[in-house]
Amino acid sequence: MIQVPGWVRDVFECYLTCEFTTVANGKPVTFPLLYFYEADSGKFSVTSSILFSKKVEHMKKNPKVSMLFSNPEGSGIEKHAILVQGIALCDDSDLDHGWERFLPYWRKKEPYIDSFLAEREKFGWFWKRIVIRVEPKKIMAWKNGITDGAPEVFG
Amino acid sequence: MMPGIDFQRLAAFRYAIINFIGQDGYPWSLPTEFEVTPQNEVLLKKPASPVQVTGKRVGVLFNHITAIPTGGYTDRRYMLIWGSLNEQDGKLKLHPEAISEWDEKILPFPELCARAVPQGQRYLKSLQRQPEG
Repeated sequence: MIQVPGWVRDVFECYLTCEFTTVANGKPVTFPLLYFYEADSGKFSVTSSILFSKKVEHMKKNPKVSMLFSNPEGSGIEKHAILVQGIALCDDSDLDHGWERFLPYWRKKEPYIDSFLAEREKFGWFWKRIVIRVEPKKIMAWKNGITDGAPEVFG
Repeated sequence: MMPGIDFQRLAAFRYAIINFIGQDGYPWSLPTEFEVTPQNEVLLKKPASPVQVTGKRVGVLFNHITAIPTGGYTDRRYMLIWGSLNEQDGKLKLHPEAISEWDEKILPFPELCARAVPQGQRYLKSLQRQPEG
């Protein structure tokens, strides 16, 4: 587990979304995603509906990914920029229930998620979800989000 | 100039993120400031990247959410523009080649899901093709 200072951990724990990049044929493909941070292991998780699973296809071919934490909106903390580069492991062995263990994390970030979950039948395929866990290999952090200087590097 | 970019909407984003692949194969993402000129050029402030960004294929993401006071967020929209960058007067000029975008005010989420059904079908078929281990 890569050790990081408190202000970096605060970002991981408080930011709502990240910008998640996969590699497709040598091209970066980046989308904003809701993520979950597991403080005990230092790993990150995202879940993806099969509807939006191109990124999972990319990761199965090339597990090198990055997660940028740059948008403090809704977090209650200051703006910083943290880049995590890591290896993604995709688990689609239980599309219907495998992701449910992340619901407590999800509710903290999107308290209204239960109203969508109540309509699970209506949005059936949205709730068929792949779990992606990311093990960080290198973390680069720009305090105050100012990227015209060198980052602090961890790992 | 590549068609299909709404530069007025693009200019309303607060910042840009330059994404590219490093020599070790890992993706990089660097947030930076940007401007859209009256000639619809996208100019990015040059970040102090440890890795050269010019001459690479890049994807530049513009992303927005609005926090909801009771928790969560709304007003999701993004534009992802692929292309290349070259230096111009100390800034990075984006040469767009392709775009992917979503704005939930233009395409509500349920409709986005409906449009994505073919990808869901494709993924389920790929799982059926996997040999049992």
